Amino acid sequence: MKRRVLGSAVLIAGVLLAGCGSAGSGRPSGGTDGTLVVWDWKSGDKTAAAYIERAKARFAEDHPGVTVKFVAQPFEQYYTLLGAALRSGAGPDVMLFNGGGRLRDRAASLLPLGGMPAGDRERLAGWEAFTADGTVYAAPVTLQGHPIYYNKALYAKAGLDPGRPATTWSGLVEDCAAITEATGARCFSLGNKEGFGIQFFLSGLGPGVLTPREYDDWIAGKRDWTSPGVRRIFELWKEAGDRGLNTAGANSTALFNDAFARFESGKAAHVVGLMSDVGHWKEFGEFLDPGDIGVMPAPRAAEGAEPALPYDGGIGYAVAKGTAEPELATDLVRALTSTEALRAFHADAGAVVSDTEVEMSGGGPALDTIVAGIGTGRPALHVALSSRTLDLMGRLSQQILSGSAGIDEALRRLAASERED
Amino acid sequence: MPRAGASAPSPPGAAVPSGAERGAPRTGRGSGPAGRAARRVAGGARGERLAPYVLVAPAVLVLVALRLWPLVLGVNFSFTGDGARDGTAVGLDNYRELWRDPLFRSALRNTGTLVLLLPVAVAIPGLLATFIHLRVPGHRFYRGVYFFPAVLSPVIAGAIFNLLLAYDGPLNRALEGAGLGAVDWLGDPDVALFTVVGVHVWATFGMALVVFLAGFAALDTSLLDAAKVDGASFPATLRHVIVPGLSRTIQFVFVTTMIGMLTSMFGLLYVMTGGGPEGATHLPEFYIWIQQGQMDRPALAAAASTVLFLLMLVVGLAQIGLLRRSGREH
Repeated sequence: MKRRVLGSAVLIAGVLLAGCGSAGSGRPSGGTDGTLVVWDWKSGDKTAAAYIERAKARFAEDHPGVTVKFVAQPFEQYYTLLGAALRSGAGPDVMLFNGGGRLRDRAASLLPLGGMPAGDRERLAGWEAFTADGTVYAAPVTLQGHPIYYNKALYAKAGLDPGRPATTWSGLVEDCAAITEATGARCFSLGNKEGFGIQFFLSGLGPGVLTPREYDDWIAGKRDWTSPGVRRIFELWKEAGDRGLNTAGANSTALFNDAFARFESGKAAHVVGLMSDVGHWKEFGEFLDPGDIGVMPAPRAAEGAEPALPYDGGIGYAVAKGTAEPELATDLVRALTSTEALRAFHADAGAVVSDTEVEMSGGGPALDTIVAGIGTGRPALHVALSSRTLDLMGRLSQQILSGSAGIDEALRRLAASERED
Repeated sequence: MPRAGASAPSPPGAAVPSGAERGAPRTGRGSGPAGRAARRVAGGARGERLAPYVLVAPAVLVLVALRLWPLVLGVNFSFTGDGARDGTAVGLDNYRELWRDPLFRSALRNTGTLVLLLPVAVAIPGLLATFIHLRVPGHRFYRGVYFFPAVLSPVIAGAIFNLLLAYDGPLNRALEGAGLGAVDWLGDPDVALFTVVGVHVWATFGMALVVFLAGFAALDTSLLDAAKVDGASFPATLRHVIVPGLSRTIQFVFVTTMIGMLTSMFGLLYVMTGGGPEGATHLPEFYIWIQQGQMDRPALAAAASTVLFLLMLVVGLAQIGLLRRSGREH
């Protein structure tokens, strides 16, 4: 035993002595043999097959001798694998990113996309989510937003006008009381098991609370967590929980896809969903009549608010800083954001794509309302936050719902977290 | 490894010559048959001396290259920074941050809770194995049924219990039907960790049960018969005959169950709670995964891994000590 303890001590001592802190990250090697490697979590989907094929064909027109290899990674581990690969110098040349904190956290490993022509810059929308400190690092493929969907059939059953949803918070609460009494359905389908529910709530209902100036300051990084407007959003979060507006067991319900499934099955009249890919009008339309799915602006819950559709660039392709072929990789990103490729992505996956030249209609009233709101939309509030603050906000939001933390304490800790970032 | 004793080799480069070398006549280089024989003897002795090293070299190299060297790199990495300080030495900053992080402290506390729950996790398969050994009606059926969950992956077990334990799931509906209130099994921070541990025990106790049954096979049945003849009650038989007779088996199950609980809960946690609610089911390995994958803080994750490694080393040494002591007692 003594020998074993001694051996362990020697091992630890050696390991600690070695710990002089000299390790650093490697640089992505990139392709050097006429091959570009692309990592994403989409290319394996059936609904993305035509999109990928069109993009590859477009790229092959200009670069016939270059092989493009798509590697579809599981989304749950995507950023873990990507981070490790970039660090060890085995990363891809081109990679898919979610907009916002995910990209900004890793901007140091990416090549600034200065090589994109002005025409592409104007044709595509949603660049802000892929911009860090004024530099663009990825080209947007989709637009991702957080519209409030509602079930028109439940409105009709409760004797409400499905074409005129409430425009104020108090009006919404009254409508929900009528719906619950008539149908048993709750007001909101909420899934906050992973802490995503608060992100959607903040972005979905925040536009009905913050004034345009407060909103712009928030997006610009000048966030005052103790301001009355921000406090009001978290009061609404607590009120929704305390008054039983949410579906039961929100802290143990996964947003993807249990909460969305409850909305689809008529157990709740509203849900803050997405615009593209999943949890959106097309998926809801597989269970509900597309004509029964409506999208409403955020109800006003404070003076001076001017609700607008909250959206950003959803997913976009970036180029690794260390790629051996930066120009080829940038051309591949251009192909992946070409109009013909994005048109196929919209047609098959129901994605609201970033290309303003792609005609998006025929998806029912929900899609029409979303598309109509793009011109006046604003960036979503939660996308402006860092991964670390989002993680903390998720846990604190669960505490607010369960009553183990107050709003003031939560806001104080969030402000402190932002200061440390 | 060769044991110290008759055939123990001298370390390479040792100053003291071997017996064969000492006894060999000092002849000139290649001067006749006697010299060649002496060299053969000396070469044979050297070969014999080196053979153990050569034989263990593959295992040692694999261990060093795939275990110890990455471990050293990982610990070294934990003294560097993340983000803007990537690659620069930051001393103990990551460890200080870990200590200040309430989530990491909570993860360590949860690890302590798991250790405290160990007796329950060991008692359940022990008691069920006892019933099977005592041939309760249907014992053959139960033996198969109890082992069945052990073949399920944690992800499948987690998905099954996610459905059963959902707030509007069948268990809560049954509770409400019986006039009891629903429980948020996976959403209440006071309950969630115990729920996940319960599912882990359900999913893994089959293996411990088999070990217990093997232990029963080696139990002296005459003692059980004697207890029966003497009219001993079941609790008395359990306490005075079965438990002492199975002490080594119990210790083994203790060790393996503890290792399983501390290192194999990730899949269940990922599927059932995602580390929540409110961080109540965060364990160090989950924390490491979040920091590495979600927060892009690999150096902080390396520091947390080092802490977990040290923790497991202490627990492992304590367990080995326990087993050795009980081995001597028997």
